[in-house]
Amino acid sequence: MTAIPVTGAAASRGFLRRFASQEALLALAVIGLAVAVGFVNPRFLAYRNLADILLGNAYIAIAAIGMSMVIISGNIDISVGALIGVLATVSGSLAVAGAPTAVAWLVPLALGILVMAAQGAVVAYLRIPAIVVTLGMLSILKGGLISVTGGKWITDLPQGFHLADLDVLGVPMPVVIMVAATALAAIWMRDTASGRAIYATGGNAEAARLCGVNPQRTVVMVFALHGLFAGLATLVYATQLRVIQSTTPSGLELTIITASVVGGVSILGGAGTVVGSTLAAILIAEITSALVFVNVSPYWTDALRGGLILATVIADIIRRRRRAARGWRT
Amino acid sequence: MNAPLLDVRNLEKTFPGVRALTGVSFDVRAGEVHALLGENGAGKSTLIKVVSGVYQPDGGEILIDGRASRFTSPEDAKRAGVATIYQELLLFPELTVAENIFLGHAPRAGFGRIDWRAVRTKAEALLASLEIDDLAAGQIVGSLSVGHRQRVEILRALSHDARILIMDEPTAALTEADVTRLFGIVRRLKGRGVGIVYISHRLDELFEIADRVTVLRDGAYVGSRRMADTNSAELVQMMVGRRIENLFPKTLVPIGAPVLEAQNLVCHPMTRGVSLTVRSGEIVGLAGLVGSGRSELAQVLFGITPAERGEIRLQGEAVRIDSPEAARSRGIAYVPEDRAVQGLVRPMSVLNNFSLAALGALSRFGFIDRAAERRMAEAGVKRFSVKTSSVDEAAGRLSGGNQQKIVLGKWLANSPKLLVLDEPTRGVDVGAKAEIHRLMGDLAADGVAILMISSELPEVLGMSDRVLVMREGRLVAEFDRAHATSEAVGGAMMGGGANRERAA
Amino acid sequence: MSAAAETALLRAPWWLKRHETLLAIILAVALVGLGAFNDRFLTLDNLLNQGRLMTEIGLIALPMTFVIITGGIDLSVGAIVGLSAVMLGYAWKTFAFPLPLAIVFALFVGGLAGFVNGFVITRVKVPPLIMTIATLALYRGLAEGVSQAHSVRGYPEAFYVLGQGDVLGAPTQLLILIVLIVVAGVALDRTTFGRALYAIGSNETAARFSALAVDRAKLVVYTLSGLASGLAAVVLVSRVTTTRMDMGMGYELDVIAAVVLGGTSIFGGAGTIWGTVIGLVMIQLLKNGLALTGVKGDATIVVIGAALIVSVLIASSLQRRRE
Repeated sequence: MTAIPVTGAAASRGFLRRFASQEALLALAVIGLAVAVGFVNPRFLAYRNLADILLGNAYIAIAAIGMSMVIISGNIDISVGALIGVLATVSGSLAVAGAPTAVAWLVPLALGILVMAAQGAVVAYLRIPAIVVTLGMLSILKGGLISVTGGKWITDLPQGFHLADLDVLGVPMPVVIMVAATALAAIWMRDTASGRAIYATGGNAEAARLCGVNPQRTVVMVFALHGLFAGLATLVYATQLRVIQSTTPSGLELTIITASVVGGVSILGGAGTVVGSTLAAILIAEITSALVFVNVSPYWTDALRGGLILATVIADIIRRRRRAARGWRT
Repeated sequence: MNAPLLDVRNLEKTFPGVRALTGVSFDVRAGEVHALLGENGAGKSTLIKVVSGVYQPDGGEILIDGRASRFTSPEDAKRAGVATIYQELLLFPELTVAENIFLGHAPRAGFGRIDWRAVRTKAEALLASLEIDDLAAGQIVGSLSVGHRQRVEILRALSHDARILIMDEPTAALTEADVTRLFGIVRRLKGRGVGIVYISHRLDELFEIADRVTVLRDGAYVGSRRMADTNSAELVQMMVGRRIENLFPKTLVPIGAPVLEAQNLVCHPMTRGVSLTVRSGEIVGLAGLVGSGRSELAQVLFGITPAERGEIRLQGEAVRIDSPEAARSRGIAYVPEDRAVQGLVRPMSVLNNFSLAALGALSRFGFIDRAAERRMAEAGVKRFSVKTSSVDEAAGRLSGGNQQKIVLGKWLANSPKLLVLDEPTRGVDVGAKAEIHRLMGDLAADGVAILMISSELPEVLGMSDRVLVMREGRLVAEFDRAHATSEAVGGAMMGGGANRERAA
Repeated sequence: MSAAAETALLRAPWWLKRHETLLAIILAVALVGLGAFNDRFLTLDNLLNQGRLMTEIGLIALPMTFVIITGGIDLSVGAIVGLSAVMLGYAWKTFAFPLPLAIVFALFVGGLAGFVNGFVITRVKVPPLIMTIATLALYRGLAEGVSQAHSVRGYPEAFYVLGQGDVLGAPTQLLILIVLIVVAGVALDRTTFGRALYAIGSNETAARFSALAVDRAKLVVYTLSGLASGLAAVVLVSRVTTTRMDMGMGYELDVIAAVVLGGTSIFGGAGTIWGTVIGLVMIQLLKNGLALTGVKGDATIVVIGAALIVSVLIASSLQRRRE
């Protein structure tokens, strides 16, 4: 790595920090990309297309909220994609079996919290690396789902089940839930002691303990919330579908992790916001859609996603190292 | 007069096998800076850990405002108004200054929400009260300089209404300008009636900032003085005592040609232009305080952090040492300071630790000759009289002295020309210490050039043909054996002391 | 496990306490049990066929043992299998490479993919877990992009000898695996390279201070992991006669489970190739045994996932008790 001399006075760095926050950059990218692609192909900017992008990917943004919390606390979870598949099937099956709609909606939330909190407890109290626990859980959920349902489709969902078809004052429900969940989570994480504990745990667990934060309890809480958001994401996802395929959406966990990381959540823990991850989820969805409009094969989407996450991770680590070096120099 | 803020009486603390503190007493009054002075291992860290509730004392008592107090946790101590600022600052790099100050006890608004406005204004008020104007409450701590980070720690302590502030070597990593500012802050705190326990090796600083000083040696109380009534010579004398007679002095051997010649070595941030020569058969002692850049210099010589500038010659030939592998192949060996982290692979057997640095010589086409490896380890165990049930025992299970002998032994297997020893006898019992010293003498007699870093002044004085003194990344003094007295070397280590001596 | 059983375990002689011995006993019991339940199980044909099926996972499990011993992990192996398989088909069909050259190319791509992992891990110091999650996404995406979801088939008959043929009465690929097991086992147990891996995993700083070439060893290990994934891809394509972009999906689970089940510590510093081989065989027999008793294939990954978690739990609780 060649050292790039730090030019510009402290004042300009302060300026940059204020205006070049990850969130602002992402918002700029979301708008800039829309304008650029619209220039090449104006149909991209059609209301129908923009709405599709938002509606079709709101659940990823919602799941990325929980994932962001998990990563900020210094952990990782790769079982969330499989969990969403399982929860969607449970929810759909309940609805078809004639359970009250409220039950079909609430059971996935409770189940999501339960599964994730259990994983969090194993990670926090038995000190097993999160990757091992969630990799194991991924296969248990995935294999369990297919072997129980045989991969058959759930059809004839009752009319009332489709929560995602509702709207609030003309705003579609998935967008409402996405915005509300992001806002609530952002405020909670920024403005409450329990929310700040996540950052303290991921940033410096030892120092957190000395400040009266219980890192283990925090990790369990974070995983439980991650489960809650996974349940919420499932609701938005499953109630949009006319047919629920009882398999796990492949690669979903990677899309969710990408949204968190590209949204500015530091993969080493301790930093990031859910506003960033939501914007990043929208940006990734936008890129996927844009590829179609500029005639690039959609099969390149995943490579692009992979490149994006890799570049963000490397940039994050180099940036942190520079900053640490600067701290020593001055 | 009122009772002292903090009064420590006859404190005792024993760890398995070690008496860390015996009969230590001192007190701190409001508005006073009381310094603790002593060599490494003198018991200062144990003492402050007892006072700040990390350890529980085995005997003696701690009085706060004249009332006996027992702290069972750091929280307890914090509630009683005792705050400690450790050398390794415990901050959250990704959070802001204000948040770091108030983490865990932030002002609340309704619904349990943190009142960010109050956090900010309170942080700003604290900053203003210490007249810190170049630090903003909203700055991210990770991007701050060490001096600023320390100020954040001090503010955090003040946010807890600390009345007794313990500062553990607060200037060890600071620049001159930051030290001046720290002293400004300390004086302001004194003015407010805060009592300060100040730990530092730098005598000149103590004369500037402290009111009284208590000296510890080997975990025992040596004495207390008012700074106005003492001088650096007396303090150095109290610190090091007279213990040189227990050591094996080095036998005189003919000193040969230079093995190591280093010219103007620079490696950011702690090696700032060092030139030195070590000759065959010579033991050069490298003295200096913790944080003076001694270990950093050793790691430059050994290629762990290669020199950015400067020249290294080995036996007259200019060489590039850009990795430990390069250093080893040139005949340099380094016995590091931190045995547990840098020296040993503790879960590995004695056998495998012994051969770790000599695997190349023990193998053919990459295959380890296991019989030869075992022979070598068994010979080593015998030669260094390592006490172990077998060479297959995990190295981490042995005592400190035996572990150190293994680290030393694994490097001697390479028959080095230059041996760099970093605190070779730290945490080692007296018997093992004598054996290590005898071994050093034997090696020197065989023509090995030895550079020995040690914080123990008697060891440096007893073993060295020549003593170099390092301070703030530079060599600042050199003494030959005849002129290396504890006062002279100690004075040069402390900085101001030497100047005082010369001025007197 | 009850406390009494655990104490008994701790008092047992050392060779019994070795993870490999315990596993071998469990394995023997499982073999006999499954054989008693189903007479098709303990037949030479079935066992050889199982050997054929486990080769791809086995090839990758060998360098994965190295990786985990150094305290790292490689989650991108399955994606590299996919990428190498696609590259094999692409080179042969689109570039019209002769097949041997296409195979070399596929191996090269696998090795390069692993090298990139190792390079960024050692130079930029990105944690291995994060790096290989990122490249898992990237390599799988490249496989999709390059193949455009087209599968390639119609390879020359001679190619299928590798994946479907027999040599000396045993599946060809199984023989390759056995040779590589011996090579990897000897390399880990007898060479300076192997010793360096243990030292790195136990205490990386001390390894560096002992003048071991830490970064080079890590680079080699991740490159080997990629190379083995490339080889697994070639064997897999030859066995199933087709190249598809989703090949190797989920392999990381089976590979890591085999290694961890075989007693390699997920925290690094301990493990053997022999353990990994036993872990590998156990997983394959588990799959086969469950299949023969009528359990569907998907249920077996539930068992593998559970086995992964449980074996790490047991290993770490035993470790804690010992300390």
